[in-house]
Amino acid sequence: MRLAHLWDQSKCIGCGGCIAACNAANYSSSQEPNPTWGGLRTNIKRIVFDLQPRPTLLLVQCQHCENAPCVTVCPTGASYKDADGLVKIKPELCIGCKYCMVACPYGMRWLEPETGLPCKCMSMECLDRLKAGLQPVCVTVCPAGARAFGDLDDPSSEVNRIISKKRVVRLLEYKGTEPKYFVVVGR
Amino acid sequence: MELTRREFIALGTAAAAASVLRLPERQHEKSELLAGEEIRKPVACQMCSGYCGMYFVKRNGKMYFEPNLEHPVPGLCARAAASLQLWNHPLRLKKPLKRIGERGEGKFQEVDWETALNEISAKLREIIQKYGPESIVITYKVTHAWILPLVIYTLGSPNLIQHASTCHNSGTYARMLVLGAGGPPTLDVDYERARYVMFVGRVFCAAMGMVRRLERAREAGAKLVFVDPRMGNAVLSEGEWVPVKPGTDAAFLLSMIHVIMSEKLYDEEFVKKYTNGAFLIKPDGTPLTEKDLGRESADYVVYDLNAKDFVSYKRAANPALEWEGEAAGVRVKTAFMLLKERAAQYPPEKASEICGVPAETIVRIAREFAVNKGVIEDGWWTAKNANDSDAFRAALILNALVGSIETPGGLYVKMSSRIPSSATSAADKVTTITGATLPPITAKRLDLLKYPAVPEVFDTVLDAAIEGKPYPVKALIIVGTEPFTRDANIEKLKKALQAMDLVVVIDVVPSDSCDWADYVLPDLIYLERTAILDAMWVPDAAIEYSSKVLDPPPGVDARHGVWILMEIVRRTVPERAAAVGYTSEYADYTKFGEFSKRLSGLILESLSKAWNVPKEEIEKALTEKGFFVFARWTPKAGPGTRPTKSGLVEIYSLRALDFKDDPLPRWKPPAYKIPTAPDEFYIISGRDQLLTAHNAFTWTTLSLAERAVWMNPKDAERLGIKDGDVVELEGLDNGFKARTKVKLTYRVREGVLFAYSKYGGRTSKLITGRWEILREGVNVNAFTLSWLEPLNGSPALNASVRVRKVVV
Repeated sequence: MRLAHLWDQSKCIGCGGCIAACNAANYSSSQEPNPTWGGLRTNIKRIVFDLQPRPTLLLVQCQHCENAPCVTVCPTGASYKDADGLVKIKPELCIGCKYCMVACPYGMRWLEPETGLPCKCMSMECLDRLKAGLQPVCVTVCPAGARAFGDLDDPSSEVNRIISKKRVVRLLEYKGTEPKYFVVVGR
Repeated sequence: MELTRREFIALGTAAAAASVLRLPERQHEKSELLAGEEIRKPVACQMCSGYCGMYFVKRNGKMYFEPNLEHPVPGLCARAAASLQLWNHPLRLKKPLKRIGERGEGKFQEVDWETALNEISAKLREIIQKYGPESIVITYKVTHAWILPLVIYTLGSPNLIQHASTCHNSGTYARMLVLGAGGPPTLDVDYERARYVMFVGRVFCAAMGMVRRLERAREAGAKLVFVDPRMGNAVLSEGEWVPVKPGTDAAFLLSMIHVIMSEKLYDEEFVKKYTNGAFLIKPDGTPLTEKDLGRESADYVVYDLNAKDFVSYKRAANPALEWEGEAAGVRVKTAFMLLKERAAQYPPEKASEICGVPAETIVRIAREFAVNKGVIEDGWWTAKNANDSDAFRAALILNALVGSIETPGGLYVKMSSRIPSSATSAADKVTTITGATLPPITAKRLDLLKYPAVPEVFDTVLDAAIEGKPYPVKALIIVGTEPFTRDANIEKLKKALQAMDLVVVIDVVPSDSCDWADYVLPDLIYLERTAILDAMWVPDAAIEYSSKVLDPPPGVDARHGVWILMEIVRRTVPERAAAVGYTSEYADYTKFGEFSKRLSGLILESLSKAWNVPKEEIEKALTEKGFFVFARWTPKAGPGTRPTKSGLVEIYSLRALDFKDDPLPRWKPPAYKIPTAPDEFYIISGRDQLLTAHNAFTWTTLSLAERAVWMNPKDAERLGIKDGDVVELEGLDNGFKARTKVKLTYRVREGVLFAYSKYGGRTSKLITGRWEILREGVNVNAFTLSWLEPLNGSPALNASVRVRKVVV
């Protein structure tokens, strides 16, 4: 099983629903600043390339890399790739060394100061939603049909269905991370 | 108690271990938890007026929202998702406040509800006695909108004046002239079947149900075109951005009409059958009637190519779109030809000079639009340049020319849900939903006295307060809206507020108006009260429901805004309040639920009768699923009889003639000074999914939307300005000065600055601590004067400024 996220840049209207829903479901609608990224405590970063002649939007979150640097550098095994293909954190093993945060080429981990633990997609509530047969909250809320989540090993999954018919890229592929976050850039 | 970091980790470990490691056990625990504690209740998001359908979800002790996918308008966006940040916001208004400083100083003391309500009512009684009840005005946007007619008419005033002029009056005027339609929900795009959608100044900020419907069309290959000086969020997806100069939309659209008419790309059959294009117009601009021809009927006349004669438009088999000649002793010409001549004044090259869009782009888009039978969205927030109604008349005419009205993928005419009004004021009496009749209100609304075509022009309230004419305004109740970030001419607003004897704000967070109020009364947020609402942003006749899912957090002594208003009414005019069914028994807040229930019951009874559906069935669907659909819209071959003068789509507006207005659209320059010098810029404001007056306070919005002016990097290079530099802006017309950071982005056209509306540049002194960052940025409205369109009172909220780099 290789669970993967997909985000469709060609459809996303940038409403921020996923970003805010992640904050609500996983971080209790916290209004405390995110000490690592600045801004909101959420697992999704919004980047607008304002200085491109035709500006574009990129939403980035944990890429659930097959070859995850955060897992490689973790000295205690707290960061690990689970059997479902998702990169997860065992808080009880984490010593708060922050190697994972430095190692992530996407900068997709942030530190919760109250616990000293790194945070990233997916957090507790979303993982629990999966167990209950629900989608991650960012996928559930998206009004533009710009998100999907599913198993790359299942040929009939929504993610595979979209990948097979659209132009899709992955971020920083040259880093050899084999990310499982697919970005649809057009038809 | 101070914990070490290691102890923090230990705490986190204990909690996390339960969820991650002992999985089977926890799943067992969870199923019990689910049975007992998981809550899913339908709510309608009221963070903006989109009213998206959602479920409030409480799972594992976490509270959040999911879209209600069965709902006619399913959510949701960041504003909805961040609702709980507003719920327990540190700046939430907690107790009634009474002013102790000067107006504008923002100095208050907390008072109890009895004191606040009694003092407000005593003042209102005094004002009514001295100046008459019409000197009381309530202004609002959508919060508690349904009850407000009952409140204001029971007080005895006609002056319930909405935000609409600063939002959609120009579009509403256009809809009235061309289609006999009203405010924004009355027309919208059949997004599901759309092939080619143009948005003029509309960024698709709401409702998310429209985005979902459009999604299906996009999958099928629909193209989106956004005509706007700035690139809204939605344009970051696939779509074409046409960065037009501010205030020139009408020239762009008239040029499209010219291309489509001169290249004969219009839908001739549709235009003949459903529009008044074939009407013969006399030299004085009025339509030829059978009466002119000495016949009995007064029907408008066309030239029938089959009959080769002048025939009533109702009986013509083949009306000529292009015909001119003698009739009734005068030279007549078809309306279609007059439109064609008008549009010919805007050939692409000339229009390009006005609007800054290349001529070849205008031609290409006109052709694409016609060939694809496109649709132009009919405008939502159209109060931008005080010339906007012409643009939206042109947009509606374009829809008519390509046959996109009531047809698949065109504009639909919304079906009414028939929600009854809380009260109606007629010439002979006031009637209420509670079955009461009150004597008629004889004073005339202030707005219609000056702007007869479209009501809701708040600027007329300011004039009346300052000048005392046509009669004085002495009391203003501001309900869940924000004149300081909403209206034009902020200095005039301040002057008007100074001139009043009583200003009351009912709201949930400190808007800038609070500082100018005598009393600030804390209201509930939508999650703390139930509501039955019209499902506005869907063609179907439908209503929706929002459950009460939370109480105000500890320390917030907020009350239901309807209770606040009805108590003000009862304490001011007790006999009239009793007559409409609101008595002193509800003064006890715990009893108010009964009054609320009675009103809901009356609404449901009325709907039950109107649609012949059992009340219980509606009620059950509302509380369980959050909506009820009474009738579904389906596309047709064209519109039915329209409430225009002719019953047809009027590409040549006969109603405009009644107002002595031009029957055809024309581009007029905006009212503000046009920037010419290298350091002069248009400054425009706008919305997007992240922003509303309330959402501005949430950390989500504060994190995601910048409080800075957007500037095109090419302009910045010329002026030696770098990203993040501070500039001083000076209004070219009013001299107002403000400082703000600059954000460089190609998302704004050269020569134009953009800032979000209702966001930065806040001034309330009740905004404290880390939230003071709301003072950053600018309130663009502060650069405006009262430039209002005649007849409909739509102000310009865009302006122009001089930019000076501030060396710090």
